[in-house]
Amino acid sequence: MTVAAGIGYALLALGPSLSLFVSVISRKPFLILTLLSSTLVWLVSLIVLSGLWRPFLPLKANVWWPYALLVLSSVCFQESLRFLFWKLYMRLEDVLDSFADRISRPRLFLTDKLQIALAGGLGHGVAHAVFFCLSLLTPAFGPATFYVDRCSKVPFFLVSAIIALAFVTIHTFSMVIAFEGYAKGNKVDQVIVPVIHLSAGMLTLVNFASEGCVIGVPLLYLVASLTLLHCGKMVWQRLIESRNQSGPTLR
Amino acid sequence: MAMGLPRLVATAFTLTLVSIFLPLPFSLAGEITSIESVPDLQRLMYVAVDGYPCVRLLNLSGEIGCSNPGLSKVVAPIIKLKDVKDLVQPHTVLVTPDEMEDFFTRHVPLVSNDLSFASKIGGVLIESGSSFQQKLKGLSPDNMFPQAEFSPYGNVEYKWNPTASSIMWKAYNFPVYLLSESGMSAVHEFLSKKERKHKTYTSDVAEFSMVMETTKAGTHNSEACLQEGTCLPLGGYSVWSSLPPINVSSSNNRKPIVLTVASMDSASFFRDKSFGADSPISGLVALLGAVDALSRVEGFSNLKKQLVFLVLTGETWGYLGSRRFLHELDLHSDAVAGLSDTLIETVLEIGSVGKGLSGGINTFFAHKTRVSSATNKTLDALKVAQDSFASKNIKILSADKTNPGIPPSSLMAFMKKNPQTSAVVLEDFDTKFANKFYHSHLDDLSNVNSSSVVAAASVVARTLYILASDNKDTSSSALGSIQVNASFVEELLACLLSCEPGLSCNLVKDYISPTNTCPGNYAGVMSGEPSSNPYLGSVSDVSRFLWNFLAEKTSVQKGNTTSVCSKGSCSRTDQVCIKAESNKEGTCVVSTTRYVPAYSTRLKYADGAWTILPQNTSDSMGMVDPVWTESNWNTIGLQVYTVQHSAYDNAVLVARITVTTLAYFGIMVAKSFITKALKQD
Repeated sequence: MTVAAGIGYALLALGPSLSLFVSVISRKPFLILTLLSSTLVWLVSLIVLSGLWRPFLPLKANVWWPYALLVLSSVCFQESLRFLFWKLYMRLEDVLDSFADRISRPRLFLTDKLQIALAGGLGHGVAHAVFFCLSLLTPAFGPATFYVDRCSKVPFFLVSAIIALAFVTIHTFSMVIAFEGYAKGNKVDQVIVPVIHLSAGMLTLVNFASEGCVIGVPLLYLVASLTLLHCGKMVWQRLIESRNQSGPTLR
Repeated sequence: MAMGLPRLVATAFTLTLVSIFLPLPFSLAGEITSIESVPDLQRLMYVAVDGYPCVRLLNLSGEIGCSNPGLSKVVAPIIKLKDVKDLVQPHTVLVTPDEMEDFFTRHVPLVSNDLSFASKIGGVLIESGSSFQQKLKGLSPDNMFPQAEFSPYGNVEYKWNPTASSIMWKAYNFPVYLLSESGMSAVHEFLSKKERKHKTYTSDVAEFSMVMETTKAGTHNSEACLQEGTCLPLGGYSVWSSLPPINVSSSNNRKPIVLTVASMDSASFFRDKSFGADSPISGLVALLGAVDALSRVEGFSNLKKQLVFLVLTGETWGYLGSRRFLHELDLHSDAVAGLSDTLIETVLEIGSVGKGLSGGINTFFAHKTRVSSATNKTLDALKVAQDSFASKNIKILSADKTNPGIPPSSLMAFMKKNPQTSAVVLEDFDTKFANKFYHSHLDDLSNVNSSSVVAAASVVARTLYILASDNKDTSSSALGSIQVNASFVEELLACLLSCEPGLSCNLVKDYISPTNTCPGNYAGVMSGEPSSNPYLGSVSDVSRFLWNFLAEKTSVQKGNTTSVCSKGSCSRTDQVCIKAESNKEGTCVVSTTRYVPAYSTRLKYADGAWTILPQNTSDSMGMVDPVWTESNWNTIGLQVYTVQHSAYDNAVLVARITVTTLAYFGIMVAKSFITKALKQD
């Protein structure tokens, strides 16, 4: 569909991430490192999962429950990896804080911690977009376009870019929720992240039905906006809390 | 806030449950082509279509055939011919077999005077198969009198080929492609998908890669393109063999020769789909059947005359084979060592013999070049042979006296060279062609009757025996022992006239390793230097098969010792190495079988390049020779895909850039908000 369309689809999937990167992440080198390492962790998780599922491939294309199993197992694995990632981050936070103490610099602020979580989430999201959307985009730079029978209203590349954008949003903000949830011991936050991830994954199975993408994709965006809202609420709460906390000490 | 959380959690749980159970009611009916990799996706997007192109051919005065008009691929939306109405931009027209003749004779000539339709044809796709209507009417893209400029008599307006449309001799400035069966189903499947998609934003296009080098180089006739090296002359290798083998070293006691001629090349509008079943392959198969029958007869060396079998190629393009053969005879060259012009007493050509069967009787017509004792002998021999069959289902009749002369055949070239030639051509028609598909892509196996070919082979075999023994009182038992193997003839027809089994049939694989399965009986180009001992890679599959086959059938076994040969050379000079391809190690047999190059007498090969010799009044046929050449090309292919309208693409790009910038601003707002909130203390 020509170079214009190809760039268009790439921007759709990764445009907002690019904006986020430019405005927040690129200011602090440590955030860039965090982003890269979380991308790596996500890719490694994919490699492990593909290794586990290799004997069962190729899956029969006209039954949906093997795919449900695939999604379930992948989500479980990735959520446990997320917990491990958080543990590693806590260790790192301790190291950074003690280093800061030694050179008499301030410790990590709340905003710093939130930004690190955001970078981690963005890493996951970008990896997802690159893997599931950008890697398929090379033919889109040629003259032809492609329509899938089961989603015949929009080109295949457009649908895949829209879905990738939704997942980028979900991954980015659920990492923030998860880190706060683990740090504060908040059960709700801890549970909601896997639930969101799982439901998003399962919603993609709706696309199997004929014209299912008409229902599946809006629902996916509903989940994404829910994630965004919950994250926003949580961050706002924490900011108010920390302001109230730090307020009395300054006075 | 506390109230909001349980609500959120509840919503999330409901969503999960819903998402798990939502796919259940949807059925997953319908085919899924699973895409497992990006190359798979590309293959689904760009559908390669199988077919046969029409290519660019040139002669001394101009060009014929088809090609891309410029240097780039032609991309044009596909439209059916019946839907064509007021086109704005060039389209690819999809033509059914019924509409083909009409399209080229009526719509396309409007090209030169009616500019509106001309510039609207981007490319043409012809569907394969033929309708019942077509089978009744017939379709021949050749002229009414094919190769009339070589006729030895004056009446060139005589309509030998009544179903002629002459479309293959015109030049077209757009690519034309004949779709194969698989190609046609691919295109139809592709077009049917369109009904389910957005018609307004997409169009299905065909992309033709048919750029001819002569168009690129701007050389538009044979002389210019041969000089630039952007084309090659048409030609090939004819094969002759003698039964029994001739002792080349002893030039005395040479017996008079009875020469039997057939041709192996045909042509059609589409380069690679020209089986030429009735014209001329039926004649070739009859000759091979006769050779096979005669090879089982003992005592040929005791007969009074020498039999020589000659299979010519390039006959469709100005009688290249016969002209070059006669020229080589004049030069007494190596290619024709053992033969001599003066020794050839009579010539019998086997033309189209595949349609002689009617009402259980096979009828053939003997057209003679002139009245002479030699032709009378041939006609008498044919009559005796006809009567020798117990079943009495073969009839040989003399051609109608109102015919202006012999029909278009290699004998026209023989006559023009030497008007005293005594020759007879055997055909399945009298006053006009019985073949309604002369030089058409539809002249295939279904257009010939194998029993007609078997009958022709039988009568020719016996006639040749009678002529060779020069004794009209040949005993019926001797004649009765000459039997043509009908299953051999049928197998050979399937090998040379179909793609399954085609040239990978056992019969052919016994002698050679074919490079293609589908026999393309188009003469092809002369690659490399022409010689009587050519590099076998430049010789076509059919020529090599004929050489090996004739060498084996006309060979004499000197005792039981058969030596093996590798690299194609035998110790004795009267031996040739046959079957050296398939078995890697061939067998040496005593046989006189040679290749004779077939190319225009106006061409000369020197220092790796072809040059056109000036006109020579002693070569009357060279004066009217168009000197056909074929353009070179890089790739020829066709693919179809769907294209989005550019307005849509640009809208997509604009939308995305908007989304990205909006997101950027949103983030900036959030950042300033957070900073403000933090600074509030």
